[in-house]
Amino acid sequence: MPPYVTEEEERGPRRQILATLFFLLLAVIARILPPGPQQQVASIFRASVLRPFVLVQEGLADSRVHAETTEDLQARLDSIESLVTNQRTLVEENARLRDMLELGPRLGAEYVPASLIRPGTAMSQSMFLLDVGLDRGVSEDATVLTGAGLLGVVRTTRKTSSIGMDWTHPEFRASAMTLDGSVYGLVLVERGEFRESDRLRLDGVPFHQELDDGAVIVTSGLGGVHPRGIPIGVVEGEAETETGTGWRRSYWLRPLVQPGRATHVLVLVGRPSGDLSTEWAYPSAEGNR
Amino acid sequence: MKSRARAVAVVGTLAVLHFLLKLGLGVGQAAPDLLTLALLIGARELSMGAGAGVGFFFGLLEDSFSVLAFGGSAVAMTLVGAAGSRTRDLFVGDSLVFLVSYLFFGKWVRDLLHWLVVGEGVREPFTDAVLVQAPIAAIYLAVVGVAAVAVTGAWWDTAR
Repeated sequence: MPPYVTEEEERGPRRQILATLFFLLLAVIARILPPGPQQQVASIFRASVLRPFVLVQEGLADSRVHAETTEDLQARLDSIESLVTNQRTLVEENARLRDMLELGPRLGAEYVPASLIRPGTAMSQSMFLLDVGLDRGVSEDATVLTGAGLLGVVRTTRKTSSIGMDWTHPEFRASAMTLDGSVYGLVLVERGEFRESDRLRLDGVPFHQELDDGAVIVTSGLGGVHPRGIPIGVVEGEAETETGTGWRRSYWLRPLVQPGRATHVLVLVGRPSGDLSTEWAYPSAEGNR
Repeated sequence: MKSRARAVAVVGTLAVLHFLLKLGLGVGQAAPDLLTLALLIGARELSMGAGAGVGFFFGLLEDSFSVLAFGGSAVAMTLVGAAGSRTRDLFVGDSLVFLVSYLFFGKWVRDLLHWLVVGEGVREPFTDAVLVQAPIAAIYLAVVGVAAVAVTGAWWDTAR
């Protein structure tokens, strides 16, 4: 004979199972939601429960900057001042010549400086949080740069913050070319067995074109995400992965930007369509032939 | 009731510490997964539905900075929270061996579920994520968990 149980005791386990299934269903819905609603939910948490922790990291980043010696900052200021003074005559001359040729003012890129922080949570290793958002003109797919070159791209934006991914993310892609624009390809991440062995690869180079080690690879501007001329990496040998097909070549790249070291970045706003190659000091190497 | 209050305090403290270390101080992978530890300790005090609810909430917090794998931690931690509370019906859990095993397998299963849920395009290779990183993280969590239990006294009261 089965042991006697009250109706309440019988209902208890069933209620627990239903509650578990309810939360599991909510979790599955959260997983399969489109990216827009997903990020709305995420931004609610980031702006409420997690906000104090974000503020702590922002405060620490600011403290690190303030801890730099005054002499160092003064030296940098002097360098910039001398640079600006030297360039002023060039700018005036350029404006005068453009005026004579009846050309409008040159459209330069607009940058927004931002502080970058790393969440450090699961599945966020290649993601970063920026302290600028829609209020500063940052849009989705905006290019994120450091002084050395391309760091990544903004994925989602909110009013005062944005989330982006750097080039180590498996979904990172950038249309690329050599400095002289003679060879084009696509830069992506080759996942290694371990995170430390992830490498940048230039893919899709026509088989009849070869690159030498040391050739600088920059964004090509194709695809409309990144403007032309931003340094990505330097060729470091041919990759064997694609040559077997006989149709195209692939090359390993040494990245010019180390994502782990980036704390302050520039975000391109206003969709600059021009060539930014004049705004960079490229590594002195020419290797395409 | 007193032991439950202590467990709730430990769970809350561990959750705050998790985000303070990972997000506030930017320690990243060097810090143990205290959120999963909090869930595993808390689940032993909760019913299955409540364990799943806490896991769901913790998972969403963890997912807040994950653009392409949003919901992955929520699914994994909901299941781990529910399963963790079920172990109370199956094991008394008053031995150190059980505690270490529970924490180790709880964390490893959480990472395995997360790997399965996030999808092929985003996840890392199986060998690296599940067979190398996950066991190391699970051992780390188990060691920290035993220390946390020894210091706070949470768990042993419940087990008795």
